[in-house]
Amino acid sequence: MFFSRIFKAALGLFRSSLQIRALVYVVALTGTALVVLGGALSITIGNGLFSTRTEHTILESARAKAVVQRIFQEYTGSSTWELNQGLAQVLPELEQKGVSQSRTVAFINTSKIKNAEELASPTSEGVQLNLITRDFRELVSNSNDIQNQTIQVRLQGETVPAVLTGEKITLPGGYDFQLYLVYDMKNEQETLWFVQWTLFFGGFFSLSLIGLFTYIVTNWLVKPVQSVAEASELLASGDLSRRLPVRGTDVVAVLATSFNHMAESLQEKINDLGHLSTIQQRFVSDVSHELRTPLTTMRLSADFLHSEKDRLPENSRRSVEILQGQVDRFDRLLTDLLEISRYDAANVVPEFETHDMNGIVGGALESIQQFADSKGVRLLAEVPSGEILCDVDARRIDRVLNNLLTNAIEHSEGKPVTIRVAHNEKAVAVSVTDQGVGMTELELMQVFNRFYRADPSRKRTTGGTGLGLAIAFEDAQAHQGMLEVIAEPQRGACFRLTVPKIQGFTNIVSPLPLAVEN
Amino acid sequence: MSKLLIVEDDDALREQLEIGLQAQGFEVVVAATGTDAIPAFEMNKPDLILLDLMLPGKNGIEICTEIRKTSGVPIIILTARTEDSDMIRGLQAGADDYITKPYNFDILLLKITARLRPFEAKITDHPIIKIGPVEMDTLSHEVRKGDKKIALTPLEFKLLLTLASKPNEVFTRENLLEQVWEYTYKADTRLVNVHVQRLRSKIEDDQENPKLVLTVRGWGYKAGPE
Repeated sequence: MFFSRIFKAALGLFRSSLQIRALVYVVALTGTALVVLGGALSITIGNGLFSTRTEHTILESARAKAVVQRIFQEYTGSSTWELNQGLAQVLPELEQKGVSQSRTVAFINTSKIKNAEELASPTSEGVQLNLITRDFRELVSNSNDIQNQTIQVRLQGETVPAVLTGEKITLPGGYDFQLYLVYDMKNEQETLWFVQWTLFFGGFFSLSLIGLFTYIVTNWLVKPVQSVAEASELLASGDLSRRLPVRGTDVVAVLATSFNHMAESLQEKINDLGHLSTIQQRFVSDVSHELRTPLTTMRLSADFLHSEKDRLPENSRRSVEILQGQVDRFDRLLTDLLEISRYDAANVVPEFETHDMNGIVGGALESIQQFADSKGVRLLAEVPSGEILCDVDARRIDRVLNNLLTNAIEHSEGKPVTIRVAHNEKAVAVSVTDQGVGMTELELMQVFNRFYRADPSRKRTTGGTGLGLAIAFEDAQAHQGMLEVIAEPQRGACFRLTVPKIQGFTNIVSPLPLAVEN
Repeated sequence: MSKLLIVEDDDALREQLEIGLQAQGFEVVVAATGTDAIPAFEMNKPDLILLDLMLPGKNGIEICTEIRKTSGVPIIILTARTEDSDMIRGLQAGADDYITKPYNFDILLLKITARLRPFEAKITDHPIIKIGPVEMDTLSHEVRKGDKKIALTPLEFKLLLTLASKPNEVFTRENLLEQVWEYTYKADTRLVNVHVQRLRSKIEDDQENPKLVLTVRGWGYKAGPE
C-alpha cells in the first residue's frame, strides 16, 4: 500500500514535470550506454588478461620440461633408485623456478613397463588430482605438444580460475611420465575485479554527474517555458496585464515576445469590446433618458386633451383615448428598458431592508385584486401565520410579484391562481401557480428572454412590455436568490421566487415545491 | 390663487405644464434656465416650485440648496434621471418631494395640492409639544432646542409633529407617506428615509446616534426618547 502510493506519487511527478521526465530519460539512456560499454570493456580486459597468462604458462611449461629433462640427464643411470633420486628433485626445482606468482606441480607416473610401479609420482601439496580429468589425460598422452585447460581451483578457501597444462616426458629407461602444472590466476582475477570496480564506480559517478548536469541544463531551458506556462495560466484567469521579460535573441526570447504580443492584442481586443459594450449600454440608457422629456410632454398633452374631451367632437374623443393608452404603453416600455439597461450596466444596487414577506405579498395581492376581478380570476393565498422577516429590496420584490401575478392571471383562463409563501431557516419563497394554458418545453426555455412572447397568437390585454420576466429574473439574482419556473401545456405554470433571508446566506434550499397544480 | 414657479428648460414641456396648471386655476410663472431660477423666485415669491434637475446654467440641486438657505417654500423636483443618486441628492438638498418623468398630470396635481394645503395642527390645550429638549409650538410653527431656534421647512415640521404627537408609537414609512405627504397611492419609501435624515441633522446632537427620531428595524420610525 505504502509503496504503491509512493509509486503513484512518483508517476504523477513524472507525468507532470517536463524536467523530471527529461532527467529520467537522459539518466536511463546514458545508464544503459554505460552498462554496455562497461560490460564490453570488462570482458575485453578479462579476456586479454587471461589469454596473456595462458600464453605465459605454455612457455613456462616448456621451460619446466627442459628443467625436468636436465635433472635426469645428470642421472644417466636408469635404475629405479637413481630415477627416484631425480624425481625427488623435480618438485623443489619446479615449484621454485616458476616465473609466475605461483604454480603447483603434479609429475605423474603413467608407465606400464616393468618396475614402473617403483617410481614415485611427486605431487605438490594441495594439488587436487581429481581436477585433471580423464579426457585431458588422454589428450596429453596422445600428443607431443603442451596441452592446456582452464579450470577452477580452491585456493585459501576461494575458488579462482587457473590454467592447467599437461605434457608427456619420457624418463631414461623408457618410463612414461606426465607433467601437470597448475597456474592459478588469483592476481589476474584481482586485477579484473579492480578494473570492474573502477568501471562500476566510474560509471556511477559519471551517471550522477550527467544527471546533475541534465538537471541544471533542463532547469535552465525549462524555466522560461515554465514562466510562459504560468503567465498564460494567469492570462487565462483574467490577468490581462501579464507580460514576460524578454532576454537575448534565442528561441525562448522569441516565445516571450510572441506571448507578449498575443497578450497585448488580447487585452486590446477585450478593452475594445468592453468599450463597445459600455458605449452600447450608455446609448440605450441615454436614448431612454432623452425619450423621457418628450414623452412627459406627450403625456401631459394627452392628459390635458382627455380632461377636455367633452368639448371635442365624438371621433376625436376616441382618438384622445387611444393616444392616452399608447402613451401609457410607451411609458411602461421605456421604464422597463431603462431598468434592463441598468442591470446590463451592472448599475443596480438593491436597497436591502428588513421586511415582512407576508406584508409584501399582501400588498401585491391587494394591488392586483382589481385586475383579477376584471378577469374573473380568483386569487387564493396559502400563507403561514405570523411575520416572515427577511432582508429584501421591497420595491423589487413587489415588482416581481406583481409581474408574476399579472402573468398568471392573464394566462389562467379564468381558473384560480394560487400564491404560496413558505420559509425555512435560511430562505423565504413565494410561488405563483396558475392552472391555465401552461407552456411547452420550448417556451419554458425562453420564458425569461427579453421580448419573448409565449404565444404570439394570443391577444394581449394588459399590454405587457415583454421585459417583465427578464427584469424579474434579474431582480431575483440581485437578491442572490432565484426565480424558477415549471409548466405543462394546458395544466398551468408555477413560478417560484426564492431569496435568502439575510444577504450572504448561501446554499439556500427553497422551502416550496416547484410543481404545477394536480 | 396659488402661484407656482416652473423651472424647466424643455420648451414644449414647460408650455404644456403651464397650460395644464393654468387650466387648474394656478397662477404660473416660468424660468427656462438655471440662472433665471433664483431671480424669478425672488421676484415672484411663489407658493411652490416645480424644479427640473438638469438645467443649463445652474443645476437643480444647486438652486434647491440656495433657496433652502432663505426659504422653506415647498419644492417638488422633476427629473428624467431615475438614477436613485440624483433623486436622493435632490431630496438631501432640501426638496420636499420628487416626481420622475414621464409622470401623469393627475399625480403631479395631487403632489402639488398636497404641498400647498395649509397644515393645521389640531388645536389642543397644550399648544407646545415637547420631544426631548426640542419644543414645538403648534400655533406659531416655531421650533426651539433650548434657546436655539431651529428652522424647519413646513414638511419637516409636519413630519416631526406627526411623530412627536404620539411618542413611542411606531410609524411605518407607508404611514408617514400617507399622513405627512398625503399619498394615497404607492410611492417610494426612500422619500421618508431622506427626510428623516435631514430632520435628524437639524435636531439631533449626534446624527449617527439619534435620540429623538429613532429607527425601528423592519418597521419604520418613532419619536423618542423612550
